[in-house]
Amino acid sequence: MPGGIVLEFPELYLFPSGLWITVQLAILSLLGSLVLGTLVAIFRVAPARPLRWIGGAYVEIFRNTPLLVQLFFLYFATPYIGIYLGTRETFAFNAALLGLALYHAAYVAEVVRGGLLGIDKGQIEAARSLGLSYLQALRYIQLPQTFRSVIPPLGNVSIALVKNTSLAATIGVADLLYAGEIVESRTFRAEEAFVAVALLYLVLTVPLGIGVNWLERRLQVAR
Amino acid sequence: MRPDTWHLFVDPAILRFFGEGLLQTLLLSVAAVGLSFAVGLLFALGRLSTRRWLRWPSTAYVESIRALPVLLLIVYFGIKGSSLLRPVFGEGFELPRFWAGVFGLALYTSAILAEIIRAGILSLPRGQTEAARALGLSHARSLRYVILPQALRLMVPAMMAQLTTIIKDTSLVATIGVAELVRQGRILYTQFFNPIEVFLFIGAIYFVICFGLSQASRRLELGRAPKAIRDVALRDLAA
Repeated sequence: MPGGIVLEFPELYLFPSGLWITVQLAILSLLGSLVLGTLVAIFRVAPARPLRWIGGAYVEIFRNTPLLVQLFFLYFATPYIGIYLGTRETFAFNAALLGLALYHAAYVAEVVRGGLLGIDKGQIEAARSLGLSYLQALRYIQLPQTFRSVIPPLGNVSIALVKNTSLAATIGVADLLYAGEIVESRTFRAEEAFVAVALLYLVLTVPLGIGVNWLERRLQVAR
Repeated sequence: MRPDTWHLFVDPAILRFFGEGLLQTLLLSVAAVGLSFAVGLLFALGRLSTRRWLRWPSTAYVESIRALPVLLLIVYFGIKGSSLLRPVFGEGFELPRFWAGVFGLALYTSAILAEIIRAGILSLPRGQTEAARALGLSHARSLRYVILPQALRLMVPAMMAQLTTIIKDTSLVATIGVAELVRQGRILYTQFFNPIEVFLFIGAIYFVICFGLSQASRRLELGRAPKAIRDVALRDLAA
């Protein structure tokens, strides 16, 4: 009987706990990627060429290799270099968190860079001639103005990030997808298990998508 | 400290091992692109149809598949692909894992491509359709001979950009046991305990392919594509 799984399977707590892990992973790695990505973007538009070069290399390396390879490197290879990302219990979660933040920071950096380059040069020149330092002009004039133009594309990056948290399951983080796989392997009810997982992912991504569309329209009208 | 194993990566046997993985990665990408383009085109046309019974299901398909993780679809086909297709191919049919991976990838990518194709068609001036219809072409013929050739040309850079995402996504098929690059890498490092070298090596292979493709698509000037196509193309690039 479809849906009978709810009555028969006592370990359904796996779904809410998996959902909670996915949400934690998404929020924390989004925050990390916003901070790191903004820094990389500032590097990419810096007046000094070596800084621009470092920012560019970061973006190209992390965008042009699969997230899965990056996660596997962080999970399997770091102990060999003598880096321990956590205790036995927290190791996989930390590796996934770090990997997701590093990967999406490259996409955040491209968005923020686009926003910074979109600002009229005259604004920066005016700020500098009023005696603001380069960093002050960046902090008080440039960055606040990019806010409006970067919000919708950053929304798209965060939707992608939520979906990409599912890769954490491959290194053994007990997230939503992992919960589905466990339930499937114990009950052999792939349909019910994966439909439940899919619906829970939709609960996370669809409202985000609607929110991004709404913001996009609102910010366009306001311009 | 363990001695490093870089010398393995010039060994012809090891290189052949990775070469086989690379071949699988490329075959997966080609099959997934081909299938998802065909399916994506159908759903793009469905979404643009004037008939509600075509438009609504197509919209639901595109919007819901796009909102799901591609890994979920791959894992699902890995587990259930065989039994899903048994009504078609008969009892005892076993879906090769390669094709389970292709179906998972293509299902997801078709939704993305449907959006790009739809944006491409919508970016053409309405006058094109109207002129074609006024000249006596049927709806299907005006699509086939007037609209699609122009729209597809506008989409080439966006599709190239999407191709790098598909190539990166093929790595996920390692999780259902297809012997592509990442899978080969895992097999190798469990033998030699050298995950650092293995994942740097594999990462470098992906980098060369994807960076090369993204440079090529930059040369094709994604920046000059109509804004609507560009927005849609950039929207799902990270996933």
